[in-house]
Amino acid sequence: MSGLTLRLKAPATERINLAGITPAKLAALSPYDLARLDVGIEKGGLALGDAFEISGTAGDTLTIEGATSAIVFVGDELDGGTIRVVGNVGSFAGRKMSGGKLEIRGNAGDFLSSGSTGGMIFVSGNAGDNLGGVATGERFGMLGGTTVVEGSVGARAGDKMRRGVVVVKGKTGPGTGSRMIGGTIWAEGGFGAEPGLMMRRGTLIGPSVESLLPTFVDCGKHDLVIVRIISRYLKSTLGALAPKPMPLFVQKIGGDTATIGRGEILLPSA
Amino acid sequence: MSKTVNGILIDDTFAEAFGMSGTGIIITADSMKWAKIAATVATGFGTSVIGAGAECGIDKELSEDETPDGRPGVRILIFGFSPDALLPQVRNRIGQCVLTSPGSACYAGLKAEKTMPLGKGTRLFGDGYQTAKKLGDSRYWRVPVMDGEFIIEEDTGITTDAVGGGNMLILGRDRKGLLETAEHAVEEIAKIDDVITPFPGGIVRSGSKVGAKYAGMHASSNDAFCPTLRGTIKHSELSPDTLAVLEIVIDGLTSKAVADAMRAGLKAVTDVGASRGVTRITAGNYGGKLGQHHYHLKDLI
Repeated sequence: MSGLTLRLKAPATERINLAGITPAKLAALSPYDLARLDVGIEKGGLALGDAFEISGTAGDTLTIEGATSAIVFVGDELDGGTIRVVGNVGSFAGRKMSGGKLEIRGNAGDFLSSGSTGGMIFVSGNAGDNLGGVATGERFGMLGGTTVVEGSVGARAGDKMRRGVVVVKGKTGPGTGSRMIGGTIWAEGGFGAEPGLMMRRGTLIGPSVESLLPTFVDCGKHDLVIVRIISRYLKSTLGALAPKPMPLFVQKIGGDTATIGRGEILLPSA
Repeated sequence: MSKTVNGILIDDTFAEAFGMSGTGIIITADSMKWAKIAATVATGFGTSVIGAGAECGIDKELSEDETPDGRPGVRILIFGFSPDALLPQVRNRIGQCVLTSPGSACYAGLKAEKTMPLGKGTRLFGDGYQTAKKLGDSRYWRVPVMDGEFIIEEDTGITTDAVGGGNMLILGRDRKGLLETAEHAVEEIAKIDDVITPFPGGIVRSGSKVGAKYAGMHASSNDAFCPTLRGTIKHSELSPDTLAVLEIVIDGLTSKAVADAMRAGLKAVTDVGASRGVTRITAGNYGGKLGQHHYHLKDLI
């Protein structure tokens, strides 16, 4: 497995914007052009070669070492190959990603996998607010792909999410699945307060929920075939990272009835 | 040159089969019993494209590990003249026979480059209450029904490389023994993947020839192989010791599967047939001009 390694030289003095930097894009550049890519956000510009020590040969893997939350848009527009990050990343990691794998050995900031349409994102730590959420001026949040967070996530995960799967091994913050249009969020540590505000469709699966909005209604206990399908799909794609299967019967809580109410929160039936 | 295997004469001839379009569908249910009920009904009246519109059958049973939802299931195959001819057959059979069957769910049973709608029409039964769940490349529709939800995948694969009409004719001097032998051959063929034997119990007793003396009849009795006509018609193919003839017709998703199935069937007949009065095996063809696929019996034993 060939690939480039970027090692952060010194604590960043400004935000480092890695938007559009993918293994394929770097492989197409000469070492000269590569080192001169502007990754700064300020007027003076910041060359990739000034911010990072660059080693290795370009290939289908890009490794970023010593990362901090000053690095934003990691894995933006990734469509194939792997980006591996050791350390934390800032906002918008995995933005508009359509394929490949983004592996973050650390924490992720806000808007992780926002607007992504495919691929696999893995975060070993926690993620911030608006995971898979809609970015300002856009219609939808996450549109596809799979995101796994081993820790917990912040508020409003899946805001205007339309498709795709989010697996959170820990807890989600308040307002998970707000304005959700579709897709699945499975929180093994349970959901924070009042999930699903103005949720149209989509599925939230977990062992517990802190509190429910009054516009969510009990639809009874059911053995839903779709839960088995989701379980098996996650087992086949995530292996050991897949959430533990739900019991045969789940409590379906439907909503948000303040809108069309085709969404659902699925809890283990008591 | 015809040859004799275990006392059974194998004609030096070939089965002539046709290119068809085929698809596979997985039907699951709470139990194997109900998966089979749905599959049996959905593949019913699916013997011949000429009169039934499609040729259908159960390919195999699937264990819990082999289905998308972890329940017992059955894989059915449906064959038609063309993708366009398959469409209404799949829609109607699934809509009338699987959607209606308690606890059922329905999934793509063929991975292929080309796809055809599976649940695209049936989902509308949900009258707006249906929702979709896309996981990976598969989109599953959830249609609310009176016992919960009917799950149906949006598309399934379709192949235009399928083969219909692989066949063998088994001749014998004892009707009971002949039927037992044919049953055994059908059981052995069922062990081959990607093939079905669409006729009742896998066996046809009314083999046909193309055309008829009556206008409007596309096919009529294969008089050359009708034992009661032996003696009164000049072109009878039967020798005096033949009392009955049974045919096994095989459809498969690939030509190789059909050849494998014919091989298994021939072996089954030659293994047990002689003691049950089987005298001869031949195959149906139209002189080789109509069908693209020829399966020579001598190559398969």
